Amino acid sequence: MEYFDFLQLIAKILLVVGVCLGVVPVTVWFERRGAAWMQGRVGPNRVGPFGLLQPLADVLKFIHKEDFVPKNANKFYYYLAPLIALIAPLCALSVIPFGDKAIVGGREVVLQIAQMDSGVIFILAFAGLEVYPLILAGWASKNKYSVLGALRGSSQIVSYEISMGLSLLSMLIVYGSFNPHEMVSWQVEHFWGAVVNPFGALVFLISIFAETNRLPFDLPEGESEIVAGYHLEYGAMKFALFFMAEYIAMIMASALISTLFFGGYSLLPGMDFLVSFIASFFGFGSVGTTNVTAVFQFVSLASKVAFFMFLFVWIRWTLPRFRFDQLMDLGWKILFPLSLINLVVVTLGVYYFNR
Amino acid sequence: MSPVIVILSVISAVLALTMLFTRNAITSAICLLGVLIMTAGIYGLIGEHLIATIQLVVYAGAIMVLFIFSIMLLNLNTEERDYKDHPGAFAGAVALGLGVFGFLAYALTEHFRSHRGDVVPGPFTSEYVASLGGNSKVLAHSLFTQYYVSFEVISLALLIAVVAAVVLAKRKFD
Repeated sequence: MEYFDFLQLIAKILLVVGVCLGVVPVTVWFERRGAAWMQGRVGPNRVGPFGLLQPLADVLKFIHKEDFVPKNANKFYYYLAPLIALIAPLCALSVIPFGDKAIVGGREVVLQIAQMDSGVIFILAFAGLEVYPLILAGWASKNKYSVLGALRGSSQIVSYEISMGLSLLSMLIVYGSFNPHEMVSWQVEHFWGAVVNPFGALVFLISIFAETNRLPFDLPEGESEIVAGYHLEYGAMKFALFFMAEYIAMIMASALISTLFFGGYSLLPGMDFLVSFIASFFGFGSVGTTNVTAVFQFVSLASKVAFFMFLFVWIRWTLPRFRFDQLMDLGWKILFPLSLINLVVVTLGVYYFNR
Repeated sequence: MSPVIVILSVISAVLALTMLFTRNAITSAICLLGVLIMTAGIYGLIGEHLIATIQLVVYAGAIMVLFIFSIMLLNLNTEERDYKDHPGAFAGAVALGLGVFGFLAYALTEHFRSHRGDVVPGPFTSEYVASLGGNSKVLAHSLFTQYYVSFEVISLALLIAVVAAVVLAKRKFD
């Protein structure tokens, strides 16, 4: 591997991982403030301006807590579970393109960490790996409630993966490619995926709520019934890792749904005007224009992701939690057949329009 | 061969040996999972991204989840089950394994020795596949045109397996 290639790869990995990990505290703050706002409370507002330094104080608290391990726990798997929980969604982020291309020193840099032609299935692979931390954590901590949470969580993730995969499949038929870059360019040429296949987008949205264990599907954690589910026995930084993993999974899911259904990194309306204005104002050539476009593409993907993060918080405080049998009924008896029918309809539509 | 592949191979060999020699069923399953993930990494490093991804989806994401699930549900309390030694059965298993290994090794070496001259590379070189639009496109095309019938037969067989599983489980619950 060439020196430049290696360097740009490291730079992209640092950018993606840094942005995701850096955004997590802000999201936590936003979640708490948003929750307070929707419930007519104030929320954290004492530490720093608007309470923005509250996550920092929380992290300090987490670090200084006792690193407690339950007596009967299986130590190795007890420590392994939060690590897998954090690593799996971070790996999945590596195939999400966050811009078209930038030009650095006369060389083109594709703004996506792993360029592989099976891009989207790779994300599914890592979504499948997200079951392991739940099972391992629930089993290793040797607690009845943890095991219950792990069983609920894994059966939920496995069930909703099917409808998620089917709605993904319908979009693959529309785009005719696994490559996220080609998907985005298809959406730039035609319409957003959500316009072409609105039902698929809805099913996918519901499925990612279930996949990330967020309300109204947070049964694995269900505080009122099984205390905290699979991470009940986790304290200090190990709990913080699970907490971060949940938010990173949310970011990953938001980026995925934006790429598949909402135009990905394609510029938001009005931004192309802004790009050409900036380019002409500073007198950029084609290289400068490409780079400015890349920055704005990153901004538009980030704003789409931010919208979906807001949606996660919004829905959390709008819908109550499902009962477990209702959750399974929704997954297997409603979403699964409907997404199967939707797949057939989309296939017929694609056949008709491509004829 | 890149050094990363060597590292991955060594890790997967260690994990495979741990899988064989551990007495804890969960450790064994997790080691097998590790071996599968390392193999997927090797596939990815030699440029076969699709195979790597399918390895992750099918083996690591689905089959191993089932394994670990059933192990955890079956012995929740006694993680190390009492293992009774059966010397005769053990010796028989070892002999059988060595026999199969020896036969395979003999067949492979014999094949490579006698047919060394007439190995003809197929049409799908990596440049040719890239010019056709990448691995997954070529695979999908041949799967849904040339091998369409076998694809459908396999899906029918899987459907039969699913129905059979439901029938068997239902009889037990009723």
